[in-house]
Order: sequence, then structure tokens, then C-alpha cells
Amino acid sequence: MKPFVLRDLVDDRPREGVFRVSRTLFRDPNLFSLEMKHIFEGGWVFVGLTSQAERPHDYFTGFIGRVPIIVSRNGTGELRCLVNVCSHKGVRLVQRLSGNARLHVCPYHGWTFDSAGANRNIKWQKGGCYAAAFDEEDHDLASVARFGEYRGFLFASLNPDVPSLEDHLGETRKLLDLIADKSPEGLELVPGRVCFTYAANWKMQLENCSDQYHFTSTHPSYIRILEQRAQEQTHEVVQSSIGAADFWQETASGVTGGTMSFDHGHVLNWGIMPVSSANADFERAEQLAQAFGQEKRNWMFNMRNLTIFPNLQIAENASSQLRVIRPLAPDLTEMQTWCIAPKGESDRARAFRIRQYEDFFNPTGMATPDDTVCYEEAQLGMAEQERPWLQGHARGMTASVEGGNAYADMIDLKPARSVVANAQLCDESLFASYYRAWAERMAEVVA
Amino acid sequence: MTVLSTGDAAALLYREALFLDRLDFDSWLSLYTPDCLFWMPAWRDDGTQTEDPERELSLIYYRGRRNLEDRVKRIRSGFSVASRVMPRVSHMIGNVLGETADDGRVNLASVFTVNVQDVRTNRAHVYFGRYEHELVVDEGTWKISRKVIRLMNDVVPTMLDVYGI
Repeated sequence: MKPFVLRDLVDDRPREGVFRVSRTLFRDPNLFSLEMKHIFEGGWVFVGLTSQAERPHDYFTGFIGRVPIIVSRNGTGELRCLVNVCSHKGVRLVQRLSGNARLHVCPYHGWTFDSAGANRNIKWQKGGCYAAAFDEEDHDLASVARFGEYRGFLFASLNPDVPSLEDHLGETRKLLDLIADKSPEGLELVPGRVCFTYAANWKMQLENCSDQYHFTSTHPSYIRILEQRAQEQTHEVVQSSIGAADFWQETASGVTGGTMSFDHGHVLNWGIMPVSSANADFERAEQLAQAFGQEKRNWMFNMRNLTIFPNLQIAENASSQLRVIRPLAPDLTEMQTWCIAPKGESDRARAFRIRQYEDFFNPTGMATPDDTVCYEEAQLGMAEQERPWLQGHARGMTASVEGGNAYADMIDLKPARSVVANAQLCDESLFASYYRAWAERMAEVVA
Repeated sequence: MTVLSTGDAAALLYREALFLDRLDFDSWLSLYTPDCLFWMPAWRDDGTQTEDPERELSLIYYRGRRNLEDRVKRIRSGFSVASRVMPRVSHMIGNVLGETADDGRVNLASVFTVNVQDVRTNRAHVYFGRYEHELVVDEGTWKISRKVIRLMNDVVPTMLDVYGI
């Protein structure tokens, strides 16, 4: 007997044009612990970038679901993803966020491990009167079952029984290429990690990234500032890439962008943005067109909000952000955020990218707080029991088609479904991809 | 020579805190020079903050009071749900130390604690850290030309605006 029944949680009847999600999904504590086990600890999740540990013995720490991990480069340059837990008493071995160390000594009883995770010393082992059975045990740090890289993006899975990383990412690899190809040297995180929490379910963030519908109603205060700044054009204020585009404006005509959904829960929300000096990548616009052709270059300048299910989001809109979603409780989520940038860009472009980023993306800025406050207000509403079904996954239902479209073809992208949109369409049908992947990963516990 | 005693300089810091506590943003803005620097660095790792705002991320980085005026406009706009139910705040400033004093220019170090009652959620938050102020004489009055806010507890619960630091 499985504890949950899918049709109580997700009402997925494509032939009847119905896709509904129950409020239970956002509030139930039992469901939440099952999500941690089956979604975050049961399949591929994003863990970091190779550039976070570039030299031998560099490492950084984090979590897969509730499990502390360390991504460490050994002396010969090989990266590993290890469970950051001493074999002896289960103490978290490394406490720092990042660093460089050949050896990691457990702070409790001094067991020592090298940068490849091999146990190098058990304090006073010879005098310890251990039975032979102990010596037969593996004392090394546990390796995370699956670990892989694509273009500098690192993913890992605690569950060995998952598709290859190549299969998991599928067509979205081409979308990661658009980010990685911005510089022949690859990409990096701008120093300075910004971390915040919000008192709502992790799926609020999951959806918001690909929710074009909210932009003009959640952020009018920010949009007004952009409009004023654009009129004044003073050197004191930062020019905005979003302000220079019209894909989000009520009055924009024709195709303004759209959505694409991919297997395994990945989605893209995109909008047409001009190749303009309002984008920090403009200094390389010509170079990129020569290297990859006009169409791929133009895609590199488009607004693109990409979710790699379940925890990675890369937003290329007002600037370029990489965010990692870490659920802490049904109604508490931690967000780790970075500015992601092509290596080797000019000082001017880097400064411009950073300034555009701070005002929009930071929890101390002028846009994100209006999102996270809405998530919290939504969480209050999730308590309602009488009417379980939300009405937030229905827009775009009749515009969604199987496969791609002319815009996808430009970069040889083959999504499972897509929507070509005008400014007011603001597709929500792409969210179905999240919940279908959710149901797949939860299949063991949701009948 | 125009000099300012540490005591008088500290009074200016307290006045700034009072204006923010009262959410009296016009008076608050009037304490800044038009070309002021307002900077809250981010944390690079466990123990070091970002130092080069042109190459590293900040939590807030503004050169020019004009940007602070934008923040105030947004707060007052009526179109920001994060600013709809205004929190109640109280600033405590201590350990004010005059670091350098020249003709028409003073640098101060201090510590701050800001208690924020988020009325919307009925949650209280505390933000704490160090300030670095540079005060200059601008059109005959002492104003803030540079303020660095070194926020120690940088995992922000939902949101943090200029009145909470």
C-alpha cells in the first residue's frame, strides 16, 4: 500500500485539457520527507561547477537532499563527489564551504581521509583491540553513487539506479552549451555567494523561474524604476537588459518568446531580447556570431530561464544567475545564488553584469523580495483543505504542441513540447513537466 | 579648518539611525552627498568578504544617492508587495571610533544591531555587523559620503531592505 495516490495530488488529463495540482503538494510534511528521499536523494541533482575546485586538492561542500557532501579534486586532478561524513561516528568531516587540503582530519576522533576520500589513518588503530571483522570493513568516505560533468556543470545522484547523466540532461545540454559557449575558457561563479531563505515550499521557486505571467504584476515597482532610468540615462544608474527588451510588455506585438519542456522535468521559459549593449555579453557579440553562427548567437542573447529538475535554475534575463534550491521543510526553502559569468570577459563587462545582477536578483535588491513575499503568501493559502486544486497550471493548454518549433530548430533543439507565445500568453502548461517528473521520481510511494 | 569631534560625528550616525527607525526616508536621504557610496559587500566564503565590487558580487552597491532615491521610490510606490506592510525597525549603534580626521573629512568605525519586526509575518529578525562611515563637509554641512555595511548574518530571511541595515 503506497501512502499517497497520484490522482489526489496531480489531476493530469491531457485529453480533457485538464492539468491541476493539489495544495497538498506544497504543505504535507509526510510528502515532504518522501520528496527528500525520492526526488533529492533519489536521482540526479546539481552539485556545483568544476571551476569551484580547479586545483589539485581543492574542494567545496554542500548537500544532496539532507546528506552532507564534499566535491574534492585529488592530487592527480580527478574530481570526486563524496559523502562528507566520517565513517567512524558519522560526524560531518569538513565544515568549511570551500578550501584546499590534502588531508581531512575528523574533528571528533581524528580519523584521517585524503582528498580522494580514502581513509589514511585511524587513530591508535593498532592499540584499539579491533576484531578482524572491523579490519574487513571499508573505512573510506562513501562515494556518491553517480557523479558526472557536462560542460563544467556537476551533477550527482545518491541512487545508483538512474539513467546516465547524458540521458538525464538530454536536449537541455544544448541550453547549457549556450551558457558555456559564451567564452572559450568556460564559465565561472563570480566571487560572492548570496544565500536566503523563504517560508514556503520549494516548488514555489521551481515554478516562479519559468512563470512569465507574474513579471508585470509582481514587479511593477521595479519596472517603473527601469522606465525612469531609461528615460534619464544618467551615468549613476545601471542600464537594464530587461528594460531594453519588450518581450514582457503588454503592448509588444507578434511572437515574443515561449516555453519548452523536456524529459525528466526540465523546462525553459524564453523571450526575445535584442543583441544590444544593454547585455553584458555584447562585447563578444561579433565573435560569438563568427564562432557559432548568427542564430545560436542570437539565442545566447535571448532571455532564458532554465530549470534542470529538481534543483538547478539558470536565469539569463536581467543579468546571469545560477541558483540552487535546497528544501529545508515543507514551508521553508534555502536558496543559494551566484552570478555566473564567462571567464575572461573584460573588466567593464564584468562590472556591468554584476551591477545589473544586484538590483534584480539579490534578496537585498528590488525584485526578488517581491517574489519571495508572494511565495510566502501562497504558502498561507496552501492551508485551504476544502478546495484542493490550484488554478495556476492552465494557461497555454491549447497552444502547447508536441515537439519543437522554428525557434527551437535554430539551435537544433528538440523539446518534448513547446509553446510559441505572444506577450500575453504566458504559458503555464510547461509546469506539467515538473509534476510529471515529480510523479516519476515518487512512483515508489505515490500510486 | 573644519573638524568634527568623534562625539559630533557619532551623533550624525545616530540621527541616520533615528530617521531609518522612523521610516523618514527624505530626512535619511538628505544626510548623503549626491555622489555617495553605499556598499554592503557579500561573503566570498566562510570568513572573507568580497573586496572588489567591480569584479565581485555585493549585496548592495550604489555609487550615487540617485540609486538610494530609487530604493525609496520603490518602497513608497504602492506596487511592491514586499514593502506593503512596512516592518518596524530599531537601530542600535555602538563602539563608535574615529579612525581618521582631516580637514572636512572624518572616517568612523562602528557596530550595529538592527531589530526588525516583520509585521506581515509576525516574525522578528535581527541583523548585525559593522559600519564604516566617511563624513565630509558638503555645502557647509556634514554629510555621509561613504557607508560600508558589513553584514555578519548574511543568510537573509526572505528579504532585507535599506531600512533593515
